[in-house]
Amino acid sequence: MGLTPAALLLSLFFVGPSLWALYTSLTNKALVGIDAARPRFVGLDNYQRLLSDPDFATVVLNSIVFVVGSAIVGQFILGLLLALLLDHAERRRYRLATIPYAAVLLAWVNPTVIAGFLWVAMYDFYYGSLNTGLTALGVGPVDWLGRFPMLAVIIANIWRGTAFTMLIFLGALKTIPSDIYEAARVDGANAWRRFWDHTLPSLRPIAALALLSITMSTFGTFILIQTLTNGGPGSATETIALYAFHEAFRSYAIGYGSTIAVVMLALNVAFAVLYLRWSRARA
Amino acid sequence: MSVIGPQAQTQIAVPPRVRPLEGGSRLEWVLMHIVFAAVTLFFLAPFIWLFTAAFDAHAQAYIRWPSAPTLDNFVQIFSRYAFATALSNSVFVAVSTMLLTVFVVSLAGYSLSRIELRQKAWITYAVLLLQTMPLSATMVPIYGLARELGLRNSYLGLILVHSAIELPFLVWLMKGFFDSVPRQLEEAAWLDGRGKLRALFEIVLPVARPGIAVAAGLSFLSAWAEVLMVLILVDQQSMKTIPLAFYETFRSAGGYTEVQYGLVAAMGVLYVLPVMAVFFATRRLMVRGLMSSTRGL
Repeated sequence: MGLTPAALLLSLFFVGPSLWALYTSLTNKALVGIDAARPRFVGLDNYQRLLSDPDFATVVLNSIVFVVGSAIVGQFILGLLLALLLDHAERRRYRLATIPYAAVLLAWVNPTVIAGFLWVAMYDFYYGSLNTGLTALGVGPVDWLGRFPMLAVIIANIWRGTAFTMLIFLGALKTIPSDIYEAARVDGANAWRRFWDHTLPSLRPIAALALLSITMSTFGTFILIQTLTNGGPGSATETIALYAFHEAFRSYAIGYGSTIAVVMLALNVAFAVLYLRWSRARA
Repeated sequence: MSVIGPQAQTQIAVPPRVRPLEGGSRLEWVLMHIVFAAVTLFFLAPFIWLFTAAFDAHAQAYIRWPSAPTLDNFVQIFSRYAFATALSNSVFVAVSTMLLTVFVVSLAGYSLSRIELRQKAWITYAVLLLQTMPLSATMVPIYGLARELGLRNSYLGLILVHSAIELPFLVWLMKGFFDSVPRQLEEAAWLDGRGKLRALFEIVLPVARPGIAVAAGLSFLSAWAEVLMVLILVDQQSMKTIPLAFYETFRSAGGYTEVQYGLVAAMGVLYVLPVMAVFFATRRLMVRGLMSSTRGL
């Protein structure tokens, strides 16, 4: 059957690993030593450990700050503003608007390692472009990755991901029929009124879906943080995704790392179900 | 726009809107263009740095025009950092992934489109769930599984895992394209005495060509950019692809300050150029595809 190769690939790399993680999370499997060769079944020990692990509490909090800051506040609001700006520019026939549009897209299509590296250079304390600029303005250098590491990774992630929300809202704005505006204008509604009464409400359904999409993709962010700060300094930028990796490969605790992975997968299922509910309600 | 195909496709046919706002004051023009400049500066500055640093023998972390533009950095990454190996590995893995993906998703998309689907909602659920699964959550289990299956440090392992990444979305996308080919057209071809396979190639595939282009472009780009799986599947020098070589070159320096910026920037330029080329050549298709895949690159 035509579906077989696809089904095989998907079971090998999505379904298989999920089941493997579920099983391994119930053992004390390690990367090296006796527990690597002969892992013992430990029941829900790993889950209990997770609940009382102070580091886990920290990384959950970090993940929330990261997602709220970079996805919900940053990408969402900036994306919406950019979409409104570019849509307005298009109606005014400002040709140069293509340049900021292309720039936003460029940041988005690049491999994440590149994004991480570019921002390592931007944030460099002594010679980074950011501090060179700030010094020229007389504000003085800021130790971005040392003193404000979370803000730094959030800015980098906003830079990288804003295009997605912008494109979604640009698409939605194009579908608003123009006669609504005409009618409102004839009624004497000013620009703000038209924006609040017509533009924003018509964006609301797609906004909920966009928000959930970027929450899901931001939640899983790994390589950007890994290249920028490696979760540090200390554990200031260590999110759940990084914690699972570090527990498994730095502390060699595959069983415990799998437990964290299972929690992430479960959260993703919850997000996805919510997403489907909302998109159904919309249709 | 949604994560999964069908809605994304119905929205492709957006009616052209005709509501130009002519005029606008001169002040508005100036203000808008100041904002354009600010946005462009924020999003473009890192790239300006990348491209100037790559041609600067004494590159620093700040943006400066190279006093004597040179190809030194490019020569060095090939002579001292064995960049050629990483480059050919990356090309081989990405192209193989693309070919395998196109084959698999065309086949699966066509089958899904031609069979009676009762549990449509469940398939939608499954596609969405698989497509949004964070790769970072599968790192640990895929590492464990690949070790047991002997798929580490092998091209096969990399190609298979990279093919799986965009698969759920692309299967769904292809199904949408095949759905748009009327079944009667195909059946008429069968009646004309053409074989099923010939009908598929002569009638169905040409209609699905844009879908195949998106599948090819997206699978190439995502395999080219993917690094998480490379990180856990590869530790042999000879198997490294560009993102891993790149990552290690600037990570191995220790701190942030000792990075050989010029060399890494040169690697970065060679790494992003194909992405930019493919992306801007097929911009419209890619934007549509990427938006509905959510996985991003």
